[in-house]
Amino acid sequence: MKGRRKLFSRRMLLFEFRNVIGNPYVHIFGVGMPILMMVIITRAVLGEIAETEMLATVTTSVFLGIGAMIPMATIFMGYGIAHAQELEKGIPQRMELFGIGIKMSLCSRILSEVIFMVLAFCVYFAAGYALADVKSPAGWGLAIYVVCILTLSVILFCLAHAIASMLRKFSLVYCVTMLIYFGMMILGGMMGISFDNMPSAMQAAAKLLPVTYINRDFAAIWVGESYNFMPMVQSYLLLGAVAGILLFFTVKRDSRKLH
Amino acid sequence: MLLSIQNLEVRYGSNKALSITAPIELEEGDRVGVIGANGAGKTTLVKSILGLVPYEGTIRTELLPEQMAVHMQFNEYTDNMCVKYVMEAILDTDISKNKKLQELIDFFEFGDCLRKKYSKLSGGQKQRFTIIMVMMQDAPLTFYDEVTSGLDFETRQKLVEKLVEWYRGRDAGFFMVSHYYEELDQLADKLLILDKGKVVAYGRRQELFQKYCGRAVIIMDNTPQNEALMKGAERMSSPKHLIAVSCGSEEKEREITRVLLLNDVNYKRSNNDIEMLYINAKEAEAGTRGAAAKNVGTRMAYKEKEAGE
Repeated sequence: MKGRRKLFSRRMLLFEFRNVIGNPYVHIFGVGMPILMMVIITRAVLGEIAETEMLATVTTSVFLGIGAMIPMATIFMGYGIAHAQELEKGIPQRMELFGIGIKMSLCSRILSEVIFMVLAFCVYFAAGYALADVKSPAGWGLAIYVVCILTLSVILFCLAHAIASMLRKFSLVYCVTMLIYFGMMILGGMMGISFDNMPSAMQAAAKLLPVTYINRDFAAIWVGESYNFMPMVQSYLLLGAVAGILLFFTVKRDSRKLH
Repeated sequence: MLLSIQNLEVRYGSNKALSITAPIELEEGDRVGVIGANGAGKTTLVKSILGLVPYEGTIRTELLPEQMAVHMQFNEYTDNMCVKYVMEAILDTDISKNKKLQELIDFFEFGDCLRKKYSKLSGGQKQRFTIIMVMMQDAPLTFYDEVTSGLDFETRQKLVEKLVEWYRGRDAGFFMVSHYYEELDQLADKLLILDKGKVVAYGRRQELFQKYCGRAVIIMDNTPQNEALMKGAERMSSPKHLIAVSCGSEEKEREITRVLLLNDVNYKRSNNDIEMLYINAKEAEAGTRGAAAKNVGTRMAYKEKEAGE
């Protein structure tokens, strides 16, 4: 009889990574879709903007903004739906009965999701620099983008886990995450309406979302221009707090109560 | 003592699914078969011991959660990879480097299935997949909840044979829920009989059989000829297509079997038949004044008479 298992193991990480790449949704919506959208939108603005410098800025802005779709699709939608399917089948409980608790699963899963997302970003960046006129980043600009995307990914992971654990049914989770996904894309300005053209009520809601700042403002941060990070940090804190509270509530509620 | 249960109550909404008042204790190495009709509370009992459903009452054990292995009625795994990787992750080992695991895979003839996805496995293969991992845990106490449900007769028999062979000579205990008496016949040495969420009987099979059925029972087909032959014998409750008579003494048994042989009647003799035990214990404890209760009374009187003599 083996003792209590470690929180993290190479095999669990491999297992969860295989789980991630075995989900076709993440390849379609997390890798293919952002590249396609980035190419279509950047080509669409080509004809509308004559100035080269302006065109490169807009292209970079579109490129960086659409990049935020990757964690939203692979982690928020992909993981949320996959976890709901697993919950419906009772897989997490089965794993727990084998001594693989929720904390152990979450640790390996979140790392796997991040690894997949990094790979997806590599493909996205390769496509971006090959097919669109994206500006080269300043060192800090790139570092901040990476931190912002990683932080957003962790928050979205917690949110997806909490939503799936609360609703438990695949159809419901699919519906709710899809609504939030498109809601974030619309409010974030990725669906054609820029922040400045939104009605004030929409703007108020958009300000609460990190994706708005990534899509609207990152072109400037990317090239090292000065930027007031406070509103963006506040949006991260708010979304992080919501996700954290929901995650804590669901993990606590679902934990196995043993004598 | 490995596990003790007392005053356990589990509710699903307003419905009381399980109510155990008298203590149930499991010693190390006990192999307990749990029987009862659908809705008797068998799975609920297993789930409450494992902490999967909220309950009131006391469940005490010296075992850590990881020292209890579990094979639930339905076991599902991810379908995003072949089962080899699932097995290696769950057991935190490499099949190629683990001799014990290789032996188990060979023992359960699962080697050819390792490259398949879980959904592509047959019912029997799915059960064997979980059993291999459960056995690799080498736990002092294992829970099997209807391991063979939904399997065809041949697969079920093969699986039970494997389990019998595996547990032979080992001192590990288990708690096995099953609807198939013949499985428990081969595997269990204690029985827990549940009915409508209550305990009907719990104890060693032999002792329970003696208590509810007497020394031995003779079972035959329920035909008018057999009915006539067994007139005046101590009849017990039995399924409608059978006649069961109790043999309070060796003499009585000889007398009955002589009659049956003379009339060329096929019969079965048993001193531990779980189906008979289940039916008669349920009747006796329900106090329905059925045949079993009457027979128990008669047998008790007979035993007292024997003891007095």
